Amino acid sequence: MNVQAEHHDGVLVAKVEGRVDSSNSQDFERQLHEAFGDDAGAVVMDLGQLAYISSAGLRVVLLVAKTLGQRNVGISLCSLSGPVQSVFEISGFNRIIQIHENRTDALAAAGK
Amino acid sequence: MSDRSSARAARAANPDYKILVVDDEPDLERLIRQRMRRHIRSGRYGFEFAGNGIEALEKLTEVDDIDIVLSDINMPKMDGLTLLQQIPEVNSDIRSVIVSAYGDMENIRTAMNRGAFDFVTKPIDFADLQVTIDRTLSHLDEWRAALASRDKLVALQNELDVATKIQQSILPATFPRVDGCEIFGCMEAARNVGGDFFDVIRLDRGCLGLAVADVSDKGVPAALFMMSSRTLLKGAAVGVGEPALVLGEVNDLLNETNDAAMFVTVFYGVYDPSTRVLTFANGGHNPPLVVHADGSSEELELTGGIALGAVPHFEYGQAKVQLQPGDLVVFFTDGVTEAINLANEEFGLETLQALFEDGKAGSAREAAEMILQAVREFAGEAPQFDDLTCMTLRVADE
Repeated sequence: MNVQAEHHDGVLVAKVEGRVDSSNSQDFERQLHEAFGDDAGAVVMDLGQLAYISSAGLRVVLLVAKTLGQRNVGISLCSLSGPVQSVFEISGFNRIIQIHENRTDALAAAGK
Repeated sequence: MSDRSSARAARAANPDYKILVVDDEPDLERLIRQRMRRHIRSGRYGFEFAGNGIEALEKLTEVDDIDIVLSDINMPKMDGLTLLQQIPEVNSDIRSVIVSAYGDMENIRTAMNRGAFDFVTKPIDFADLQVTIDRTLSHLDEWRAALASRDKLVALQNELDVATKIQQSILPATFPRVDGCEIFGCMEAARNVGGDFFDVIRLDRGCLGLAVADVSDKGVPAALFMMSSRTLLKGAAVGVGEPALVLGEVNDLLNETNDAAMFVTVFYGVYDPSTRVLTFANGGHNPPLVVHADGSSEELELTGGIALGAVPHFEYGQAKVQLQPGDLVVFFTDGVTEAINLANEEFGLETLQALFEDGKAGSAREAAEMILQAVREFAGEAPQFDDLTCMTLRVADE
Protein backbone atom coordinates (compact mmCIF):
# COMPACT_ATOMS: atom_id res chain seq x y z
CA MET A 1 0.00 0.00 0.00
CA ASN A 2 1.24 3.43 -0.86
CA VAL A 3 -0.19 6.96 -0.83
CA GLN A 4 1.12 9.65 -3.16
CA ALA A 5 0.00 13.25 -2.91
CA GLU A 6 -0.25 15.63 -5.87
CA HIS A 7 -1.61 19.17 -6.11
CA HIS A 8 -4.02 20.27 -8.84
CA ASP A 9 -5.09 23.94 -8.62
CA GLY A 10 -5.62 24.00 -4.88
CA VAL A 11 -7.08 20.51 -4.77
CA LEU A 12 -4.99 17.85 -3.12
CA VAL A 13 -5.15 14.51 -4.89
CA ALA A 14 -4.05 11.44 -2.89
CA LYS A 15 -3.40 8.43 -5.05
CA VAL A 16 -3.74 5.16 -3.17
CA GLU A 17 -2.16 1.98 -4.49
CA GLY A 18 -2.22 -1.66 -3.40
CA ARG A 19 -4.28 -3.35 -0.70
CA VAL A 20 -5.51 -1.88 2.56
CA ASP A 21 -6.52 -4.27 5.31
CA SER A 22 -6.16 -4.53 9.08
CA SER A 23 -2.47 -5.34 8.78
CA ASN A 24 -1.62 -1.94 7.31
CA SER A 25 -4.60 0.29 8.12
CA GLN A 26 -2.61 2.23 10.76
CA ASP A 27 0.07 2.93 8.21
CA PHE A 28 -2.65 3.98 5.74
CA GLU A 29 -4.06 6.41 8.32
CA ARG A 30 -0.63 7.90 9.00
CA GLN A 31 0.18 8.30 5.30
CA LEU A 32 -3.15 10.02 4.62
CA HIS A 33 -2.67 12.42 7.53
CA GLU A 34 0.79 13.27 6.24
CA ALA A 35 -0.50 13.73 2.70
CA PHE A 36 -3.36 16.03 3.72
CA GLY A 37 -1.42 18.20 6.13
CA ASP A 38 -3.26 21.26 7.44
CA ASP A 39 -3.69 23.45 4.39
CA ALA A 40 -5.65 21.48 1.80
CA GLY A 41 -8.71 23.35 0.48
CA ALA A 42 -10.32 20.24 -1.00
CA VAL A 43 -9.27 16.62 -1.18
CA VAL A 44 -9.76 13.93 -3.81
CA MET A 45 -8.73 10.34 -3.14
CA ASP A 46 -7.92 8.59 -6.39
CA LEU A 47 -8.53 4.89 -5.72
CA GLY A 48 -7.86 3.72 -9.31
CA GLN A 49 -4.88 1.62 -8.19
CA LEU A 50 -6.47 0.36 -4.98
CA ALA A 51 -7.00 -3.37 -5.42
CA TYR A 52 -8.71 -4.16 -2.12
CA ILE A 53 -9.97 -2.38 0.97
CA SER A 54 -11.21 -4.10 4.11
CA SER A 55 -13.46 -2.65 6.80
CA ALA A 56 -10.37 -1.51 8.72
CA GLY A 57 -9.43 0.56 5.66
CA LEU A 58 -12.97 1.92 5.34
CA ARG A 59 -12.74 3.09 8.94
CA VAL A 60 -9.67 5.13 8.05
CA VAL A 61 -11.48 6.70 5.07
CA LEU A 62 -14.42 7.52 7.33
CA LEU A 63 -12.15 8.97 10.01
CA VAL A 64 -10.35 11.16 7.47
CA ALA A 65 -13.67 12.30 5.95
CA LYS A 66 -14.98 13.23 9.42
CA THR A 67 -11.79 15.07 10.38
CA LEU A 68 -11.74 17.03 7.12
CA GLY A 69 -15.49 17.68 7.43
CA GLN A 70 -14.93 19.35 10.80
CA ARG A 71 -12.48 21.69 9.05
CA ASN A 72 -14.97 22.28 6.21
CA VAL A 73 -12.66 20.60 3.74
CA GLY A 74 -14.57 18.71 1.05
CA ILE A 75 -13.50 15.15 0.23
CA SER A 76 -14.47 12.90 -2.65
CA LEU A 77 -13.29 9.61 -4.12
CA CYS A 78 -12.75 8.69 -7.74
CA SER A 79 -11.88 5.91 -10.19
CA LEU A 80 -12.96 3.02 -7.96
CA SER A 81 -12.37 -0.47 -9.39
CA GLY A 82 -15.31 -2.89 -9.44
CA PRO A 83 -14.53 -4.71 -6.18
CA VAL A 84 -13.72 -1.50 -4.28
CA GLN A 85 -16.87 0.16 -5.63
CA SER A 86 -18.94 -2.73 -4.35
CA VAL A 87 -17.34 -2.51 -0.87
CA PHE A 88 -18.45 1.14 -0.73
CA GLU A 89 -21.95 0.28 -1.97
CA ILE A 90 -22.53 -2.64 0.40
CA SER A 91 -21.26 -0.73 3.44
CA GLY A 92 -23.41 2.24 2.42
CA PHE A 93 -20.39 4.54 2.48
CA ASN A 94 -21.24 5.71 -1.04
CA ARG A 95 -24.06 7.61 0.72
CA ILE A 96 -21.64 9.38 3.04
CA ILE A 97 -18.79 10.22 0.70
CA GLN A 98 -19.08 11.56 -2.84
CA ILE A 99 -17.80 9.11 -5.45
CA HIS A 100 -16.90 10.18 -8.99
CA GLU A 101 -16.24 7.97 -11.98
CA ASN A 102 -12.92 9.59 -12.86
CA ARG A 103 -10.44 12.18 -11.67
CA THR A 104 -11.58 14.85 -14.14
CA ASP A 105 -15.11 14.76 -12.76
CA ALA A 106 -13.83 14.74 -9.18
CA LEU A 107 -11.56 17.75 -9.78
CA ALA A 108 -14.32 19.65 -11.57
CA ALA A 109 -16.70 19.03 -8.65
CA ALA A 110 -14.04 19.91 -6.06
CA GLY A 111 -13.15 23.15 -7.87
CA LYS A 112 -16.70 24.51 -7.72
CA MET B 1 30.87 27.77 40.40
CA SER B 2 29.92 29.02 36.94
CA ASP B 3 26.76 27.72 35.27
CA ARG B 4 28.81 25.66 32.87
CA SER B 5 30.94 23.99 35.51
CA SER B 6 27.94 23.31 37.75
CA ALA B 7 26.14 21.72 34.81
CA ARG B 8 29.19 19.60 34.18
CA ALA B 9 29.33 18.60 37.83
CA ALA B 10 25.66 17.59 37.65
CA ARG B 11 26.34 15.42 34.58
CA ALA B 12 29.35 13.80 36.24
CA ALA B 13 27.28 13.08 39.37
CA ASN B 14 24.70 11.28 37.25
CA PRO B 15 26.63 9.42 34.55
CA ASP B 16 25.13 7.54 31.60
CA TYR B 17 26.89 4.34 32.66
CA LYS B 18 28.46 3.13 35.91
CA ILE B 19 31.54 0.97 35.96
CA LEU B 20 32.80 -0.86 39.04
CA VAL B 21 36.57 -1.38 39.00
CA VAL B 22 37.76 -4.25 41.24
CA ASP B 23 41.54 -4.41 41.87
CA ASP B 24 43.83 -4.66 44.88
CA GLU B 25 46.31 -2.29 43.23
CA PRO B 26 45.70 1.07 45.03
CA ASP B 27 47.20 3.19 42.23
CA LEU B 28 44.67 1.99 39.68
CA GLU B 29 41.89 4.28 40.95
CA ARG B 30 44.04 7.37 40.51
CA LEU B 31 45.20 6.19 37.10
CA ILE B 32 41.68 5.54 35.81
CA ARG B 33 40.32 8.82 37.16
CA GLN B 34 43.15 10.58 35.38
CA ARG B 35 43.02 8.72 32.02
CA MET B 36 39.23 8.67 31.81
CA ARG B 37 38.71 12.21 33.14
CA ARG B 38 37.15 13.56 29.96
CA HIS B 39 34.52 10.84 29.92
CA ILE B 40 33.93 11.27 33.65
CA ARG B 41 33.43 15.03 33.29
CA SER B 42 31.16 14.69 30.26
CA GLY B 43 28.97 12.36 32.28
CA ARG B 44 29.40 9.36 30.00
CA TYR B 45 31.10 7.11 32.58
CA GLY B 46 31.03 7.09 36.35
CA PHE B 47 33.44 4.88 38.31
CA GLU B 48 33.16 3.01 41.57
CA PHE B 49 36.10 1.14 43.13
CA ALA B 50 36.55 -1.98 45.23
CA GLY B 51 39.71 -3.71 46.47
CA ASN B 52 38.57 -7.35 46.26
CA GLY B 53 35.59 -9.59 45.44
CA ILE B 54 33.91 -9.19 48.85
CA GLU B 55 34.04 -5.38 48.67
CA ALA B 56 32.79 -5.59 45.07
CA LEU B 57 29.69 -7.55 46.06
CA GLU B 58 29.00 -5.04 48.87
CA LYS B 59 29.32 -2.20 46.38
CA LEU B 60 26.95 -3.90 43.94
CA THR B 61 24.28 -4.15 46.62
CA GLU B 62 24.84 -0.55 47.67
CA VAL B 63 24.87 0.97 44.16
CA ASP B 64 22.16 -0.88 42.26
CA ASP B 65 22.63 0.62 38.79
CA ILE B 66 26.12 -0.55 37.91
CA ASP B 67 26.42 -1.60 34.27
CA ILE B 68 29.91 -3.09 33.99
CA VAL B 69 32.26 -4.79 36.43
CA LEU B 70 35.93 -4.53 35.42
CA SER B 71 37.78 -7.00 37.61
CA ASP B 72 41.30 -8.21 38.23
CA ILE B 73 41.74 -11.98 38.72
CA ASN B 74 44.25 -12.32 41.57
CA MET B 75 43.02 -10.52 44.66
CA PRO B 76 42.92 -11.28 48.41
CA LYS B 77 39.74 -12.49 50.21
CA MET B 78 37.77 -13.19 47.02
CA ASP B 79 39.40 -13.46 43.61
CA GLY B 80 37.96 -12.33 40.27
CA LEU B 81 36.93 -15.80 39.08
CA THR B 82 34.84 -16.40 42.22
CA LEU B 83 33.35 -12.91 41.92
CA LEU B 84 32.26 -13.71 38.35
CA GLN B 85 30.13 -16.57 39.65
CA GLN B 86 28.51 -14.38 42.32
CA ILE B 87 27.60 -11.35 40.19
CA PRO B 88 24.54 -12.83 38.40
CA GLU B 89 22.98 -13.56 41.80
CA VAL B 90 23.15 -9.87 42.66
CA ASN B 91 22.24 -8.49 39.24
CA SER B 92 21.93 -10.54 36.03
CA ASP B 93 21.92 -7.39 33.94
CA ILE B 94 25.62 -6.66 34.63
CA ARG B 95 28.37 -7.42 32.11
CA SER B 96 31.86 -8.31 33.37
CA VAL B 97 35.23 -7.58 31.81
CA ILE B 98 38.25 -9.41 33.24
CA VAL B 99 41.74 -7.94 33.58
CA SER B 100 44.44 -10.59 33.42
CA ALA B 101 48.15 -10.94 32.94
CA TYR B 102 49.24 -11.06 29.34
CA GLY B 103 49.30 -14.67 28.09
CA ASP B 104 47.36 -16.10 31.06
CA MET B 105 45.11 -18.11 28.74
CA GLU B 106 43.98 -20.56 31.39
CA ASN B 107 42.43 -17.90 33.64
CA ILE B 108 41.03 -16.01 30.66
CA ARG B 109 39.33 -19.20 29.43
CA THR B 110 37.91 -19.92 32.87
CA ALA B 111 36.64 -16.34 33.13
CA MET B 112 34.95 -16.49 29.71
CA ASN B 113 33.38 -19.83 30.61
CA ARG B 114 32.02 -18.28 33.78
CA GLY B 115 30.23 -15.59 31.78
CA ALA B 116 32.76 -12.76 31.39
CA PHE B 117 31.81 -10.67 28.38
CA ASP B 118 35.39 -9.74 27.41
CA PHE B 119 38.90 -9.32 28.81
CA VAL B 120 41.82 -6.87 28.70
CA THR B 121 45.42 -7.63 29.56
CA LYS B 122 47.89 -6.01 31.92
CA PRO B 123 49.55 -3.62 31.74
CA ILE B 124 46.30 -1.85 30.82
CA ASP B 125 46.30 -0.09 27.47
CA PHE B 126 43.72 2.63 28.12
CA ALA B 127 42.78 3.07 24.46
CA ASP B 128 42.04 -0.65 24.27
CA LEU B 129 40.17 -0.53 27.58
CA GLN B 130 37.94 2.21 26.28
CA VAL B 131 37.14 0.28 23.09
CA THR B 132 36.31 -2.75 25.23
CA ILE B 133 34.09 -0.74 27.55
CA ASP B 134 32.23 0.87 24.65
CA ARG B 135 31.68 -2.47 22.94
CA THR B 136 30.37 -3.95 26.18
CA LEU B 137 28.05 -0.97 26.70
CA SER B 138 26.63 -1.14 23.19
CA HIS B 139 26.00 -4.84 23.67
CA LEU B 140 24.26 -4.00 26.93
CA ASP B 141 22.10 -1.36 25.21
CA GLU B 142 21.00 -3.85 22.56
CA TRP B 143 20.31 -6.48 25.16
CA ARG B 144 18.16 -4.05 27.17
CA ALA B 145 16.29 -2.91 24.03
CA ALA B 146 15.61 -6.56 23.17
CA LEU B 147 14.28 -7.18 26.68
CA ALA B 148 12.05 -4.11 26.45
CA SER B 149 10.57 -5.16 23.11
CA ARG B 150 10.00 -8.67 24.40
CA ASP B 151 8.06 -7.17 27.32
CA LYS B 152 6.02 -5.10 24.89
CA LEU B 153 5.22 -8.20 22.84
CA VAL B 154 4.09 -10.02 25.94
CA ALA B 155 1.84 -7.09 26.85
CA LEU B 156 0.43 -7.04 23.33
CA GLN B 157 -0.22 -10.75 23.44
CA ASN B 158 -2.09 -10.31 26.72
CA GLU B 159 -4.16 -7.59 25.12
CA LEU B 160 -5.05 -9.83 22.20
CA ASP B 161 -5.98 -12.63 24.59
CA VAL B 162 -8.40 -10.26 26.31
CA ALA B 163 -9.96 -9.37 22.97
CA THR B 164 -10.30 -13.04 22.02
CA LYS B 165 -12.01 -13.81 25.32
CA ILE B 166 -14.44 -10.93 24.89
CA GLN B 167 -15.27 -12.12 21.41
CA GLN B 168 -15.74 -15.77 22.36
CA SER B 169 -17.78 -14.92 25.43
CA ILE B 170 -20.55 -13.20 23.50
CA LEU B 171 -21.20 -15.83 20.86
CA PRO B 172 -24.18 -18.14 21.40
CA ALA B 173 -23.01 -21.63 22.33
CA THR B 174 -26.41 -23.27 21.95
CA PHE B 175 -29.17 -22.58 19.49
CA PRO B 176 -32.89 -22.44 20.19
CA ARG B 177 -34.93 -25.43 19.05
CA VAL B 178 -37.90 -24.15 17.15
CA ASP B 179 -40.50 -26.07 15.19
CA GLY B 180 -40.17 -25.64 11.45
CA CYS B 181 -36.58 -24.45 11.33
CA GLU B 182 -33.08 -25.07 12.52
CA ILE B 183 -30.28 -22.63 13.28
CA PHE B 184 -26.54 -22.95 13.63
CA GLY B 185 -23.66 -20.52 13.82
CA CYS B 186 -19.90 -20.72 14.10
CA MET B 187 -16.92 -18.43 13.94
CA GLU B 188 -13.27 -19.00 13.37
CA ALA B 189 -11.28 -16.09 14.76
CA ALA B 190 -8.31 -14.70 12.87
CA ARG B 191 -5.02 -14.68 14.70
CA ASN B 192 -5.03 -10.90 15.01
CA VAL B 193 -8.50 -10.84 16.59
CA GLY B 194 -11.26 -9.33 14.59
CA GLY B 195 -14.69 -8.19 15.54
CA ASP B 196 -17.22 -10.59 14.04
CA PHE B 197 -20.21 -11.74 16.00
CA PHE B 198 -23.55 -13.40 15.43
CA ASP B 199 -26.58 -13.70 17.64
CA VAL B 200 -29.88 -15.50 17.87
CA ILE B 201 -32.53 -13.70 19.94
CA ARG B 202 -35.86 -15.20 21.02
CA LEU B 203 -38.68 -12.75 20.38
CA ASP B 204 -42.45 -12.69 20.97
CA ARG B 205 -44.86 -14.98 19.09
CA GLY B 206 -42.19 -17.57 18.39
CA CYS B 207 -40.17 -15.22 16.19
CA LEU B 208 -36.39 -15.25 16.11
CA GLY B 209 -34.05 -12.31 15.75
CA LEU B 210 -30.99 -13.24 13.68
CA ALA B 211 -27.96 -11.00 13.54
CA VAL B 212 -24.55 -11.24 11.96
CA ALA B 213 -22.07 -8.39 12.28
CA ASP B 214 -18.52 -7.32 11.55
CA VAL B 215 -16.74 -4.55 13.45
CA SER B 216 -14.19 -2.51 11.54
CA ASP B 217 -10.62 -2.98 12.71
CA LYS B 218 -9.04 -5.33 15.23
CA GLY B 219 -7.83 -5.57 18.79
CA VAL B 220 -9.23 -4.55 22.14
CA PRO B 221 -10.97 -1.31 21.04
CA ALA B 222 -12.78 -3.26 18.30
CA ALA B 223 -13.69 -6.02 20.74
CA LEU B 224 -15.17 -3.49 23.19
CA PHE B 225 -17.07 -1.81 20.36
CA MET B 226 -18.36 -5.25 19.34
CA MET B 227 -19.43 -5.92 22.92
CA SER B 228 -21.48 -2.74 23.15
CA SER B 229 -22.92 -3.20 19.64
CA ARG B 230 -24.10 -6.64 20.56
CA THR B 231 -25.65 -5.52 23.86
CA LEU B 232 -27.40 -2.57 22.23
CA LEU B 233 -28.66 -4.76 19.41
CA LYS B 234 -30.07 -7.33 21.80
CA GLY B 235 -31.80 -4.63 23.82
CA ALA B 236 -33.26 -2.94 20.76
CA ALA B 237 -34.31 -6.25 19.20
CA VAL B 238 -36.40 -7.12 22.25
CA GLY B 239 -37.73 -3.61 22.79
CA VAL B 240 -38.31 -2.19 19.30
CA GLY B 241 -39.11 -5.14 17.04
CA GLU B 242 -39.01 -3.88 13.45
CA PRO B 243 -35.52 -4.55 11.99
CA ALA B 244 -35.17 -1.11 10.39
CA LEU B 245 -36.03 0.61 13.67
CA VAL B 246 -33.68 -1.68 15.59
CA LEU B 247 -30.75 -0.70 13.38
CA GLY B 248 -31.75 2.99 13.58
CA GLU B 249 -31.74 2.93 17.37
CA VAL B 250 -28.47 1.05 17.69
CA ASN B 251 -26.88 3.37 15.14
CA ASP B 252 -27.87 6.49 17.09
CA LEU B 253 -26.58 5.04 20.35
CA LEU B 254 -23.27 4.00 18.78
CA ASN B 255 -22.84 7.47 17.30
CA GLU B 256 -23.16 9.17 20.69
CA THR B 257 -19.55 8.45 21.62
CA ASN B 258 -17.44 7.34 18.73
CA ASP B 259 -14.41 9.52 18.17
CA ALA B 260 -12.44 6.67 16.61
CA ALA B 261 -14.93 6.47 13.72
CA MET B 262 -15.44 2.78 14.37
CA PHE B 263 -18.39 1.14 12.77
CA VAL B 264 -20.09 -2.20 12.59
CA THR B 265 -21.84 -3.71 9.60
CA VAL B 266 -24.97 -5.53 10.75
CA PHE B 267 -27.48 -7.69 9.02
CA TYR B 268 -30.52 -8.09 11.24
CA GLY B 269 -33.57 -10.13 10.38
CA VAL B 270 -36.68 -11.37 12.19
CA TYR B 271 -37.83 -14.79 11.12
CA ASP B 272 -41.37 -15.96 11.76
CA PRO B 273 -41.44 -19.78 11.53
CA SER B 274 -45.23 -19.82 11.31
CA THR B 275 -45.30 -17.87 8.03
CA ARG B 276 -41.69 -18.58 6.90
CA VAL B 277 -41.24 -14.84 6.31
CA LEU B 278 -37.88 -13.20 7.02
CA THR B 279 -38.13 -9.43 7.54
CA PHE B 280 -34.73 -7.81 7.41
CA ALA B 281 -32.70 -4.63 7.41
CA ASN B 282 -29.14 -4.40 6.22
CA GLY B 283 -26.72 -1.95 7.85
CA GLY B 284 -23.85 -2.06 5.38
CA HIS B 285 -23.29 -5.81 5.67
CA ASN B 286 -22.66 -8.23 2.82
CA PRO B 287 -26.06 -9.70 1.91
CA PRO B 288 -26.95 -13.24 3.03
CA LEU B 289 -27.41 -15.97 0.48
CA VAL B 290 -30.69 -17.87 0.09
CA VAL B 291 -30.11 -21.41 -1.18
CA HIS B 292 -33.12 -23.29 -2.51
CA ALA B 293 -33.77 -27.02 -2.32
CA ASP B 294 -32.77 -27.42 -5.99
CA GLY B 295 -29.33 -25.95 -5.35
CA SER B 296 -29.97 -22.56 -6.95
CA SER B 297 -29.23 -19.50 -4.83
CA GLU B 298 -29.41 -15.72 -4.76
CA GLU B 299 -28.35 -12.90 -2.46
CA LEU B 300 -30.94 -11.03 -0.43
CA GLU B 301 -31.48 -7.49 -1.68
CA LEU B 302 -29.65 -4.59 -0.02
CA THR B 303 -31.98 -2.30 1.85
CA GLY B 304 -30.03 0.92 1.35
CA GLY B 305 -28.43 0.95 4.79
CA ILE B 306 -25.13 2.28 6.08
CA ALA B 307 -22.77 0.57 8.51
CA LEU B 308 -23.80 1.42 12.10
CA GLY B 309 -21.79 4.06 13.94
CA ALA B 310 -20.78 5.90 10.78
CA VAL B 311 -23.47 8.65 10.64
CA PRO B 312 -26.19 9.46 13.17
CA HIS B 313 -29.93 9.83 12.52
CA PHE B 314 -30.09 7.57 9.52
CA GLU B 315 -33.37 5.95 8.52
CA TYR B 316 -32.82 2.34 7.61
CA GLY B 317 -34.99 0.56 5.09
CA GLN B 318 -36.27 -2.99 5.40
CA ALA B 319 -37.56 -5.75 3.15
CA LYS B 320 -39.24 -9.14 3.42
CA VAL B 321 -38.59 -12.45 1.80
CA GLN B 322 -40.97 -15.40 1.72
CA LEU B 323 -38.89 -18.51 2.31
CA GLN B 324 -39.90 -21.95 1.02
CA PRO B 325 -39.66 -25.35 2.71
CA GLY B 326 -36.14 -26.68 2.32
CA ASP B 327 -34.60 -23.21 1.86
CA LEU B 328 -31.31 -22.46 3.56
CA VAL B 329 -30.28 -18.90 4.43
CA VAL B 330 -26.53 -18.39 4.84
CA PHE B 331 -25.58 -15.33 6.89
CA PHE B 332 -21.85 -14.67 6.79
CA THR B 333 -19.14 -12.05 7.05
CA ASP B 334 -16.80 -10.96 4.28
CA GLY B 335 -14.05 -13.05 5.87
CA VAL B 336 -15.69 -15.96 4.03
CA THR B 337 -15.92 -14.53 0.52
CA GLU B 338 -12.74 -12.45 0.82
CA ALA B 339 -10.54 -15.27 2.11
CA ILE B 340 -7.49 -15.47 -0.13
CA ASN B 341 -5.21 -18.34 -1.09
CA LEU B 342 -1.47 -18.21 -1.68
CA ALA B 343 -2.05 -17.11 -5.29
CA ASN B 344 -3.92 -14.09 -3.85
CA GLU B 345 -7.24 -15.24 -5.34
CA GLU B 346 -10.45 -14.60 -3.43
CA PHE B 347 -12.80 -17.39 -2.39
CA GLY B 348 -15.64 -15.31 -3.80
CA LEU B 349 -19.40 -15.56 -3.87
CA GLU B 350 -19.42 -17.91 -6.88
CA THR B 351 -17.41 -20.54 -5.02
CA LEU B 352 -19.78 -20.24 -2.09
CA GLN B 353 -22.78 -20.71 -4.38
CA ALA B 354 -21.15 -23.64 -6.15
CA LEU B 355 -20.94 -25.53 -2.84
CA PHE B 356 -24.71 -25.94 -2.88
CA GLU B 357 -25.29 -26.59 -6.59
CA ASP B 358 -25.88 -30.30 -6.10
CA GLY B 359 -28.85 -29.51 -3.87
CA LYS B 360 -27.43 -31.35 -0.86
CA ALA B 361 -27.08 -28.61 1.71
CA GLY B 362 -27.82 -30.93 4.65
CA SER B 363 -28.69 -29.61 8.10
CA ALA B 364 -28.01 -26.07 9.27
CA ARG B 365 -24.95 -27.32 11.09
CA GLU B 366 -23.66 -29.40 8.17
CA ALA B 367 -24.05 -26.46 5.79
CA ALA B 368 -22.18 -24.02 8.06
CA GLU B 369 -19.37 -26.46 8.75
CA MET B 370 -19.10 -27.34 5.06
CA ILE B 371 -18.62 -23.65 4.23
CA LEU B 372 -15.87 -23.10 6.79
CA GLN B 373 -14.17 -26.31 5.72
CA ALA B 374 -14.27 -25.23 2.07
CA VAL B 375 -12.77 -21.85 2.95
CA ARG B 376 -10.00 -23.50 4.98
CA GLU B 377 -9.17 -25.86 2.11
CA PHE B 378 -9.19 -23.00 -0.38
CA ALA B 379 -6.95 -20.76 1.75
CA GLY B 380 -4.44 -23.56 2.36
CA GLU B 381 -1.27 -22.14 3.86
CA ALA B 382 -2.29 -18.52 3.30
CA PRO B 383 -2.62 -16.60 6.60
CA GLN B 384 -6.15 -15.85 7.77
CA PHE B 385 -6.50 -12.07 8.11
CA ASP B 386 -10.14 -11.87 8.99
CA ASP B 387 -12.61 -13.77 11.15
CA LEU B 388 -14.76 -16.32 9.38
CA THR B 389 -18.34 -16.26 10.57
CA CYS B 390 -21.19 -18.29 9.23
CA MET B 391 -24.73 -18.63 10.57
CA THR B 392 -27.34 -20.76 8.85
CA LEU B 393 -31.14 -20.88 8.99
CA ARG B 394 -32.59 -24.05 7.55
CA VAL B 395 -36.34 -24.06 6.83
CA ALA B 396 -37.73 -27.55 7.45
CA ASP B 397 -38.80 -29.63 4.48
CA GLU B 398 -42.51 -29.97 4.02
